[in-house]
Amino acid sequence: MTQETSHLHKTYHRSKTVTVMFLCLLVFAVLMGRLVYLMVFQSEYYTMRAKELHERERSIKAARGRIIDANGKVLADNKTVCTISVIHSQITDREEVIAVLCKELGLSEEYVRKRVEKYSSIEKIKSNVDKSIGDAIRSYDLDGVKVDEDYKRYYPYDSLGSKVLGFTGGDNQGIIGLEVIYEEYLQGEAGTILTVTDAKGVEVAEEGEERVEPVEGQDLYVSLDMNIQSYATQLAMQTMETKGADSVSILVMNPQNGEILAMVNVPEFNLNAPYTLPDTVDSDSLSEEKKQELLNGMWRNGCINDTYEPGSTFKIITAAAGLESGAVKPTDTFNCPGYIMVEDRRIRCHKVGGHGAEDFVQGTMNSCNPVFITVGMRIGVERYYSYFKQFGLLDRTGIDLPGEAGTIMHNVENIGPVELATISFGQSFQITPIQLAVTASSIVNGGRRVTPHFGVKVADADGSNSHVFSYPVRDNVVSEETSETMRYILEQVVAEGSGKNGAVEGYRVGGKTATSQTLPRGSGKYIASFLGFAPADNPQVLAVAIINNPQGTYYGGQIAAPVVRQLFENILPYLEKMDYNRT
Amino acid sequence: MAERNSSRRRQSNNENFMDYSLLFIVLFLLGFGLIMVYSTSSYEANLEWGDSAYYLKKQLFATILGLVAMIFVANIPYHFWERFAVIGYIVSVVLILLIIPFGRESHGAKRWLYIGPLSLQPAEVAKLCMILFLASMICTMGKQIRHRKGFWMVLLVPMPIALMLWRITQNLSSAIIVVGIAVLMLFVSCPDYKRFILLAVATLAGAVVVVFVVVQMAANQADSLDFRGARILAWLDPEAYASGKGFQTIQALYAIGSGGVLGKGLGQSMQKLGFLPEAQNDMIFSIICEELGLFGGFAVIIMFILLIWRCMVIANNAPDLFGALLVVGVLGHIAIQVILNIAVVTNTIPNTGISLPFISYGGSSVMFLLIETGLVLSVARGIRLKDL
Repeated sequence: MTQETSHLHKTYHRSKTVTVMFLCLLVFAVLMGRLVYLMVFQSEYYTMRAKELHERERSIKAARGRIIDANGKVLADNKTVCTISVIHSQITDREEVIAVLCKELGLSEEYVRKRVEKYSSIEKIKSNVDKSIGDAIRSYDLDGVKVDEDYKRYYPYDSLGSKVLGFTGGDNQGIIGLEVIYEEYLQGEAGTILTVTDAKGVEVAEEGEERVEPVEGQDLYVSLDMNIQSYATQLAMQTMETKGADSVSILVMNPQNGEILAMVNVPEFNLNAPYTLPDTVDSDSLSEEKKQELLNGMWRNGCINDTYEPGSTFKIITAAAGLESGAVKPTDTFNCPGYIMVEDRRIRCHKVGGHGAEDFVQGTMNSCNPVFITVGMRIGVERYYSYFKQFGLLDRTGIDLPGEAGTIMHNVENIGPVELATISFGQSFQITPIQLAVTASSIVNGGRRVTPHFGVKVADADGSNSHVFSYPVRDNVVSEETSETMRYILEQVVAEGSGKNGAVEGYRVGGKTATSQTLPRGSGKYIASFLGFAPADNPQVLAVAIINNPQGTYYGGQIAAPVVRQLFENILPYLEKMDYNRT
Repeated sequence: MAERNSSRRRQSNNENFMDYSLLFIVLFLLGFGLIMVYSTSSYEANLEWGDSAYYLKKQLFATILGLVAMIFVANIPYHFWERFAVIGYIVSVVLILLIIPFGRESHGAKRWLYIGPLSLQPAEVAKLCMILFLASMICTMGKQIRHRKGFWMVLLVPMPIALMLWRITQNLSSAIIVVGIAVLMLFVSCPDYKRFILLAVATLAGAVVVVFVVVQMAANQADSLDFRGARILAWLDPEAYASGKGFQTIQALYAIGSGGVLGKGLGQSMQKLGFLPEAQNDMIFSIICEELGLFGGFAVIIMFILLIWRCMVIANNAPDLFGALLVVGVLGHIAIQVILNIAVVTNTIPNTGISLPFISYGGSSVMFLLIETGLVLSVARGIRLKDL
């Protein structure tokens, strides 16, 4: 054949074969570039995603720190419960798993099915399951069902101090109360078990498991004294029932350092069943929203979450402001005809016939409105407002509980003579009971505004690593002299005046009563209250009792003062025995 | 003439002449492939068959069979096969048609014929026969190939086979490979460049239009898309289709990406534990990357580049055009398959099932590739040492 054509043929086909080779090289270079991009620059991302896919993470709950009262009694503890989970890929008999879980856990089939059929590495079905139920489920020995033990919050005293302590949710996180505020100390750190699995969820043995141990939460030591709290609760319950009141609050604190010894708001609720409404409520017929609203109401801590018009107990503040400003001296004399004219308004005294001639101490003992209106007028709007502010009434107290309500007060520009007159005897504005107690404390303790609190310290379970909390104190709210005068006057109120029902034999008690009509006026609803402290010359304990909407007699001096008296009769000897003078 | 004759004589005296470089490269790839098949399949094989070497044994058997066939083919002068060119084409057609009544279904597609215990993919037969047929045809055509008629003839001949592979065996990748081999052989045998550039531009434009249309359709009405349309969407954003069409791609990317520069070490892949289903098949390269890292991946690519280079040297020194075209066909087959496989695994192009030559699990594939290697070796034996 023609060698020439063959040769010619060959020449270009050779060069073209070389071209093919270089085209291939070019494409390979691009692919190698792509590999470099994926394996160097994207490596971190894909490694992370792959790790997520391969590892199954199970968390180990940390034991939550306990809450311990002033005497070392445990108020909030942990008990062992179980968390039930399913591992989708390990389930062999899906229907049986669904049936067993529905039966044992009392859950709807729809709920369980959705979770069992969901394609995930591990799916939680229910937490906080009783250990006995967990054991029962374990005994079925079902493939793909995991029963993990962990802790659940347990409150040994059920409803005692419920609104103070608060409770925890399904993940052991604080929902209300101290459980929320001290969450960071109590919660600890959850641990994890990381297991490497194949696509079917079978653990890859040689990879082992990575275990991060949980760190237990720290114990919280509180100033609450369960003995006082439980006695106050009994008293409050008794009062609520005998007086047919809506609710009764009792607050007991140390006016010297702000430690709260008891805070009772009946009706309380059971901390071990915080989502159960009282029996009187037909919870089945309620919508979810309505139910949540009722629950929120049930969990409210009246002493700090709600405001009210303090009424005559607020005369303590007016008196202190008057004395401090020099607007009034204890010996100043007044005349009460049963009313007083403020501008064109006639403001009546509670005693229709009037108290007649009286000095300031007697006026306080009588809780005479015209006397306090006169004092208020003498102080004047500007000065009164600045004392209001100086006493700390415009700020929150800073108590270590969530949701403290602020003071509802007129703007200074809007205070006319009538407003000033009503403020002077504790009306037309609102404060919280804790605000009243703290302000009164600062007036009788020598002028130191303390921060009310429960939390004393946190420490590890073995007592080590403790951290003692300190709280701000503001000095010179009133002078020592004014404070001393106030202690004297308030002791007189209890010894011989309107607060005589609060007197305790053998103890010097000071105090002030109040009876305030709730808004709207004329509803016939009253709040009866009494604020008392002892010993009158050196107050170590201060108590406030507030009775909300009592039926029948509603005077604070008649129904609230006896509550504090009974309380004091029991706790004063107890506090002496406890050598309570820790300050 | 005399000189040529004498050199032929000298060569025929030297019966054992072989292209040892090529042989070594192929044997290396086979050995490496067997190791990787065992590494990728042992876990699933143990779960499914109770024998971790299940897939390895089958692959080893096919490899030995293939090596025997290779030696056999390498020792027969390649011109012997020229007479079977037309028969081969017909046999390909018949085998593909036999799929319709006798094909075995696997993975939702009928691609296999079973002869006793042996399985056979007609697509592999078709690729080999196409190389043989086109080489023979181009040689017969001579100068005609330079004309438009010849050009289109060569392009049209593989089309019936390609269409049948696509429609009957649901195997678009094999169809693409058959057409690709034909285009490459045509390119080499034709002095023209312009037409090929136009052809490449047209193909590229067509691909862009298809992608554009699919994306538009998806934006309007996602449900009306077929299987391949969804693959294109999954290619563009695999994470959005992670539980469907993008699943395999995503798992392959996890494997490749988590390998990093040095890899997790041989046998240490996590993705092969069921996350990447049938890792020993088309996606084996991703496990190579996971276990051996960027270096492992590069090493494999470099081995294939060497293989292609050897093929090029043999083609350019082949004693005649027929031999050269046979080698170019085999070169094209291997190159296209390697490039498409790695491109799919790295999600550079939409997912389509293509195995990695000599390495992926698959008896038919490795056997026919070894027969093709035998052909190349046979051509190499015809080379006069003087020309090298």
